[in-house]
Amino acid sequence: MSSEFKNLQSHWETNKKSMEVSTPNFDSLYKKIKSKEKETYFFYYGTITILLVTLIVISLFFYYVAPVKDILSRIGAGLMILGLAFRIIIEIISIRKAKQIDLLDTTLKTAENSINFHRFRKNIHQVIAPIVIVLYTIGFYMITPEFSLYMPFWNIVLIDISYVVIGIVLFIVIRKGVLKEMQILTDIVKLKNEITE
Amino acid sequence: MKHSKNESFEEIYRQHHPMVLQMGLGFVKGDKDTANDLSQEIFISVWNNLDKFRGASSYKTWIYRITVNTCLQYVKKDKKVRTLSPLELEHQTAIIDTEKTSHDDISELYKAIGQLKKIDRLIIMMVLENQDYDSISEVIGINPINVRVKIHRIKKRLETILKNNKNE
Repeated sequence: MSSEFKNLQSHWETNKKSMEVSTPNFDSLYKKIKSKEKETYFFYYGTITILLVTLIVISLFFYYVAPVKDILSRIGAGLMILGLAFRIIIEIISIRKAKQIDLLDTTLKTAENSINFHRFRKNIHQVIAPIVIVLYTIGFYMITPEFSLYMPFWNIVLIDISYVVIGIVLFIVIRKGVLKEMQILTDIVKLKNEITE
Repeated sequence: MKHSKNESFEEIYRQHHPMVLQMGLGFVKGDKDTANDLSQEIFISVWNNLDKFRGASSYKTWIYRITVNTCLQYVKKDKKVRTLSPLELEHQTAIIDTEKTSHDDISELYKAIGQLKKIDRLIIMMVLENQDYDSISEVIGINPINVRVKIHRIKKRLETILKNNKNE
């Protein structure tokens, strides 16, 4: 076995030497690095930006465009805003956990940090996102009675139906997210077991 | 400062690119396009982490950690890593190889390595790179004794795979 392995090592070494590049294309690599930086930035801050803009738009809407007066509507508006704010905080925690996955750590440590991160993401999709949607939905239906005083009946029906459609789409997206996180988690747990076995 | 970062990066690239590409090839069972993508990902990570290098470990250990972790994360991100048919594998290896290299041997080796578990592929490639138990242990994060036991098992498995592939 030892001499056979030495033989494999020698093939490996010879083949590696043939891969030496005399003039690497650094310009193209630096371009790729730049585009990857943008991608990573969007990955980290894309969702937060979207949620933050939604939060600001909704807050401004309730403050300037439709300042609700009923106590029920005010609680409803508060629930919608709180739900979004809560989701933003969770996203910030998620980014911190993602940044703990350091490629300079050992493979075992990286696998453990990845497991923590994906468990957290799974909980976001499975528990936190539905709670936020429920809060948001309750809030939404709490403000509709006051809104119906100022809007035609059919408009309210249309808004309610579209909300149900959005709800179904969100359910499908969340389900897909949970399944994806569970698959990744299974893979990393398997990898961790293979490292330590 | 940026200029000096570029210089250090280019130096590391020239020195380690063949090793990174070869490990990539072994990891993705000889698929040259995927291996090139993977090696690019690895060097992007090298660039991103260059400022963090403190000299606590050697550059080589540092690069191996990035290489191993990126390979494992790459598969996590993209499940579409495909296995080449023997014909494609032979064709691609022929492009990479020089006349001196026996491409049959190396393609057989890539094929056999590809049949191991992902972590075992990376460990055995570090052994092929002549890394000692302590260095591999520093990269993987398990103690050197376990590394030795693991390598012994992987070598046996690789030997069986190579024999079976030859008999096919």
